[in-house]
Amino acid sequence: MKYKDYYATLGVDRAASAEEIKKSYRKLARKYHPDVSKEPDAEERFKEVAEAYETLKDPEKRAAYDQLGRHATGQEFQPPPDWEQRFGGGQTVFEDLDLADLFASLAGHRRGGPRGERAARSGPDYEAAVRLTFEQAFHGAEIELDLSGVEYDDQGVPHRVPRRVKVRIPKGVSDGQQLRVPGKGGKGMNGARDGDLFLDIRVETHPLYRVSEQNLYLDLPLAPWEAALGTSVHLPTPAGTVALKVPAGTRAGQQLRLAGRGLARAGGAPGDLYAIAQIVVPSVLDERQRDLFKELAQASSNFNPRTHFETETSREH
Amino acid sequence: MNIEICEALRIDEHGELSFAQLIEYSGLPEGELRELVAYGALVPRDPGAAAWSFEASALSVARTAQRLRHDFELDANAISLLLSYVERIRDLEEQLRALRAGVAVGR
Repeated sequence: MKYKDYYATLGVDRAASAEEIKKSYRKLARKYHPDVSKEPDAEERFKEVAEAYETLKDPEKRAAYDQLGRHATGQEFQPPPDWEQRFGGGQTVFEDLDLADLFASLAGHRRGGPRGERAARSGPDYEAAVRLTFEQAFHGAEIELDLSGVEYDDQGVPHRVPRRVKVRIPKGVSDGQQLRVPGKGGKGMNGARDGDLFLDIRVETHPLYRVSEQNLYLDLPLAPWEAALGTSVHLPTPAGTVALKVPAGTRAGQQLRLAGRGLARAGGAPGDLYAIAQIVVPSVLDERQRDLFKELAQASSNFNPRTHFETETSREH
Repeated sequence: MNIEICEALRIDEHGELSFAQLIEYSGLPEGELRELVAYGALVPRDPGAAAWSFEASALSVARTAQRLRHDFELDANAISLLLSYVERIRDLEEQLRALRAGVAVGR
């Protein structure tokens, strides 16, 4: 079993008081809790901090932990021999567990076991982060997850059991959404229900499409003459290319809506896709283009795009 | 190896949760859920009904409450206050996302 230095994780001395441990945990929880933190490795760090605190806040667990002696983090060590009796097993009891499992099962034993326990107890919920590409989120996907959790055998001895679960993700999920897979958490004991598996969905950003709720947005660059005269463009959408008619006189920033081309919605119509017009001018003009633009400017002398400025400027004079 | 495929459900997919289901799925004791209702963090569909039922999205709120309670050792009053801020932050983030999505980025 690999040793973890819980005191170092919480940044406290081995002789720290319960109050000092609590204070340090709270400070670190404030910094790394996934609900309040924006630190990049917050979730991982918080798990370590919470695991350390779970053991050190409890005088009995802390005493048991201190009994293990001092080792470097990651160093292999052997729990004291009497611990195997404590957890009711033979030589192999600790082989598939880590330190956190061990102390969690210690708490279980203290409450009356799982060893020999006959009371029904629901299985724990599991939580897993799932990273999807934009395409997987749009079309739905089947993904495989490798999970592991502590389960108790018939003798009440804890084991860490690896499991592979295949999950069908519905189409139209979005970043930050949570999904529930019923019954795929930890095993319930003595006839109680199995826990659920909760999936925290993260969706990678796409170079073209931006997502807001079920709607999608993409930029539609247009040449000035296309915007002025109207045109038809081949527009990529996640479900395939469509022909989009751009009306004459389209303004920059105008949103052209394609109904039902957004993300699927549970029990309702899908969202829409909006193409946002952008007017793009050539960065370099050759002589003929320059002449034509000048001619256009002369022919358009009655067009003032800034009429709304005039009230303000006339007030100044 | 043949692995069974399981369906992942949107938490808000199935319109309604009974109070008993909310207790079972959220991991919060009944008394604390009742306190969250009393403080307005969770709102039953019909607060006057003999048997409360909730929008399915209440599960997400209750699970956040369960995390905050366990991880920060807070009471129901503090959780309710924090939940209102978490909710406000999520709303603002969604508005920001909508604003960013709807504005041309340029090339």
